[in-house]
Amino acid sequence: MLDFEEELKKFKPSLEVEDIEDAVYREDMSDMTDLIKEIINQTK
Amino acid sequence: MEYTEKIIRQSQYWYNEGLRKAQIKDISGAILSLRRSLKYNHKNIEARNLLGLVYYERGEVAEGLVEWIISKNLGTSDNIAGYFIKEVQKSSEKLEAINDAVKCYNQSLTFCRQQSEDMAILQLKKALEVHPSFLKAYQLLAMIYIHKGQCSKARPLIKEARKLDTTNVQTLRLMHELSVQHEQKMKNKEERGSEVVEYNLGNDTIIQPKYAGVKRVSVKSAFLNLIFGVVAGALIVWFLIVPAVQTVKNDHANKQMIQYGEQINSLKSQISAQTRALDQYRKNEKDVVDNLETAAGTAESYEKLMTANDQWKTGNYSAENLCQVLLGIKKDSLQDTGKTLYDRMASDVFPVAASTLYSSGNESYDVANYETAIRNYNLVVQMYEDYDNGGALLNLGLSYLKSGNKEQATTKFKRLIELYPNTDKAKQAQAGLDVISGGKGNIEDLKRAGETVQIQEPQVDNYESYDAEAGYTDEGSDMTGYDNGNYDNYTEE
Repeated sequence: MLDFEEELKKFKPSLEVEDIEDAVYREDMSDMTDLIKEIINQTK
Repeated sequence: MEYTEKIIRQSQYWYNEGLRKAQIKDISGAILSLRRSLKYNHKNIEARNLLGLVYYERGEVAEGLVEWIISKNLGTSDNIAGYFIKEVQKSSEKLEAINDAVKCYNQSLTFCRQQSEDMAILQLKKALEVHPSFLKAYQLLAMIYIHKGQCSKARPLIKEARKLDTTNVQTLRLMHELSVQHEQKMKNKEERGSEVVEYNLGNDTIIQPKYAGVKRVSVKSAFLNLIFGVVAGALIVWFLIVPAVQTVKNDHANKQMIQYGEQINSLKSQISAQTRALDQYRKNEKDVVDNLETAAGTAESYEKLMTANDQWKTGNYSAENLCQVLLGIKKDSLQDTGKTLYDRMASDVFPVAASTLYSSGNESYDVANYETAIRNYNLVVQMYEDYDNGGALLNLGLSYLKSGNKEQATTKFKRLIELYPNTDKAKQAQAGLDVISGGKGNIEDLKRAGETVQIQEPQVDNYESYDAEAGYTDEGSDMTGYDNGNYDNYTEE
């Protein structure tokens, strides 16, 4: 049986046009390469 | 660096996976694969561009723009992200409408958390109206309907959501929920022992029993019902509609009759008025004619009076002629002076004329010249009706009778009896009436007044001659026993 409240929590607000700029800045641009570099640095 | 190449290759691998999934409309799977690709290599422009595209495909335009903007900033020349951004910015009205739809969706989330599902439904409907490819809105609205038990409304929404994203977990979850609820309903219906049919008609959900309470009727029953219906309808028409129609017709006819009656009465009254007017005109005309005649008669009377006066003054006149002139005058049309003159002349002329005419009338009667007698007696009666104590009337009546004019005779006799009842003349008149009625009497026996009756002395027979012939003499006769007047000694032989 559907739990409405629980399912509702899965719905997140959608991005509005005014929030695009903030979203671009918040975007996490790190990838695997950055992770390996960090690991190497930590190893060093 | 080998790991660099491996990372790049891994990134490409996941990009390819994402592309394959996007091609079969597995948007959710494509997003996951492309995100993984970017995790390996955030500079994978193609993966980022495709990610923006798949976001745009399921209605998340802002998310798509974010990826394109990042891609363009990372990018090289010849980056298709710039083209995507320009295309979106071209239709600013559409972008604004999509933005409004997103706001409505966000508002509806708030309403749902506040348990105002009806308001949320309104907002979501509004959002879907302007942005029909908004997957999240379909999912949220369908979930609200399922929560309210309106599964039939949720079903089409879920279908649309599935079209946009075939493997979306949320969509599949809602589909599963629908099927579970449907099975539950079917079980309940079976327990209730009735089958219902549920279908949508516009925005309404129609739930009705599959079969009516009554079993299917046979053809025979249907036919009987049809016959019964026809008969019932005919009876209704006969007893309700026909009388009503007839009543209406009768009312109409009665109204017309009343109208015609009123018209007839009106015409009758007009005719009556016209008739009265005509009668009045005729009466007036008659009065006028009478007045004219009276005037003419008066003038004529005065002329005759003047003529008679002239003759009377001269003294040289015939009483019979003058009396006829006087009798031709209408005394009533004269004024007082005229009447006085008339009376004077009449008192002088009439006695002489009456006597003369009466005598000549008698003479004419005696020689059976009844026509002349009637004329003379009429003049006398006009002058003096009671002349000779009704003698003139009697003679006139007898003249009429003997000339064959029984009507006039009757009139004169009756007038005489009226004036002089119980007289000899009245008896004669009565005898005349008896003759007329055919009862008794003889017309020849009727005597006029003044008729002298010659009394014949009875003829005494002179028997002396007989005596001489027979030799009878008085002398020597035995007269014994015949004592003059003394019959005492008479003895019967």
